[in-house]
Amino acid sequence: MTAIAVRMVGVDLLKLRKKRSTVIWALFLALVPLLIFFVVNAVQHASDPSKHGPAGGVENFHTGLRLIGGLLFGPLVAILIGVEAGTNDASAGVFRDLVVTGRSRLALFASRVPAGLALCWSVIIGAYALILLGTFVFAGSEPTPGGALILNSLGYLLLATGVLCVVAVGFSSLILSKPGAIIALIAWQIIATPLISSISSLGSARDFVLYVSLAHFSPIKLDGGKGTEVSLAGGTGALVIVLWLVVFLGLGAWRTRTMDA
Amino acid sequence: MPSESPAVPGSPPTAATAIETRGLTKRFGERAAIDGVDLLVPSGCAFGFLGPNGAGKTTMIRMLLGLTGASAGSMKLLGHPVPGERGIALRRVGAIVEEPRFHPYLTARKNLRIVAAVRGHGAAERIEPSLARVGLAERADDKVKKYSMGMRQRLGVARCLLADPLLLILDEPTNGLDPGGIQEFREMIRAMVEQEGRTVFLSSHLLDEVEKICDAAAIVDRGKIITQGPIAEISSGGDGARNELNVGVDDVELALHTLEGSETVKEVHRSDDGIRVVLAGELQSAAQVNASLVRAGVGVMRLEPVRHSLEQRFLEITSRLDEAPGGAHHPAPAGPHAAPEEASG
Repeated sequence: MTAIAVRMVGVDLLKLRKKRSTVIWALFLALVPLLIFFVVNAVQHASDPSKHGPAGGVENFHTGLRLIGGLLFGPLVAILIGVEAGTNDASAGVFRDLVVTGRSRLALFASRVPAGLALCWSVIIGAYALILLGTFVFAGSEPTPGGALILNSLGYLLLATGVLCVVAVGFSSLILSKPGAIIALIAWQIIATPLISSISSLGSARDFVLYVSLAHFSPIKLDGGKGTEVSLAGGTGALVIVLWLVVFLGLGAWRTRTMDA
Repeated sequence: MPSESPAVPGSPPTAATAIETRGLTKRFGERAAIDGVDLLVPSGCAFGFLGPNGAGKTTMIRMLLGLTGASAGSMKLLGHPVPGERGIALRRVGAIVEEPRFHPYLTARKNLRIVAAVRGHGAAERIEPSLARVGLAERADDKVKKYSMGMRQRLGVARCLLADPLLLILDEPTNGLDPGGIQEFREMIRAMVEQEGRTVFLSSHLLDEVEKICDAAAIVDRGKIITQGPIAEISSGGDGARNELNVGVDDVELALHTLEGSETVKEVHRSDDGIRVVLAGELQSAAQVNASLVRAGVGVMRLEPVRHSLEQRFLEITSRLDEAPGGAHHPAPAGPHAAPEEASG
């Protein structure tokens, strides 16, 4: 990246970091469910150790990972931040002021993506640190996850939230409505995705659901071993993820390049 | 003076014409918001783009800046064709389109940092001088949401100055300013032109504002340029030699009889409070008119040159347009800068 591109990403990240409402909601969604999970389990274990196991250990690590890497909290964080990155300039009315600098519109669009990813991953890494903290601090006599699982889980979380964040940047840059983009993406994620995934008659068409492809790369069963996950080949999963990225980045870039500012 | 950078490859040259358009047209469906406009804005002046609300001023500015595409025609900014060399052309252009907008939750300084990062080319080093230039240095760490409209306008100008602009394009810049703010703004624009050598292209529907700030202007209505040139020429109907007198006399009939046929007088007719004389030559010949009247025994109580205002001229032009069959635009006399064809559509 050129020096100007680095500075553009830097100021896009500044805009996101300083958007207090988005950051607070992202932190709330990433951290509070985990805090509740570990604190409640720890209190239960302390009050009745014979009935309730320790709050940490590998089993609870899995549960913590499902909370963030599953359908709900991690994706919500990624959607919130991605949509903010995609619509920030347009909703503040400053996009035209950036266009009149003469800088290419594609460059303006491109700088949103790494900025969104940087904030999204910062929050997700914070949440993952909390999972690890709870896992080891409250482990008691339970076994703890090994180094490979810890690294693979981190990689999966970054992949799953990063892809969704980039899709959110592209989609929101396309429709240019912050509330519209958030509602549509959340509805897709928490209503349409589980619904489509559960319709077995759709067969391999379900492979094109982003979450299905992402879940394929998870080091643990995200459905908790209930057998509801759609199985697909690794190559197919990677292809579907790339397809989602290309389509939504392409649409967002096209709209940014061609719209009246 | 804005710093020149001729040694920098790709930097805009100092063009004699800051803005040049040929047959520029913007259509929204069947309706032409801008219709075949030929516009010439010379460098180093304050140029007013004057027209009523809805005349097409903002659309024109948005096309010049590449915010929306043109349907037909060509344009150049600082000698560079747009959109072909838009990036190079806009490097030394600062613009405020409609009201200046910012990220309200960020400070003024951070808002400028964002634009400076996008501009590059030393813009970051111009943040502090720009804030000082518009008198916001001490409030630069306040969030913009706490700013008044006047402060936002000034911050908008500071944002323009990050480009060290050879050309500033300002769309209705005094909207929302109080009288003190307007006066301050005028002085700032004049200083930018006279002391710093910048070109200012200013759109407005306020005749008085354009007359006070600008050296030259174009009048636009319904997407067409009706006339353009120096303010004095436009005000006098495009004939710089048209000098008129209001003369208060004790005997109107005798005065009319005396001056009709006089070599120094082109036209003379009765007015509400005496007679109106159009001189054949310079204003100095008013003394000869006075002498002729006195010699003929006419008592002259008052003799004053008529000051043509842009407002008067603007109303003349627009009322002429309204009178034309079907509201069609008819050519209006203009000065030497007048575009030959655009008023005829």
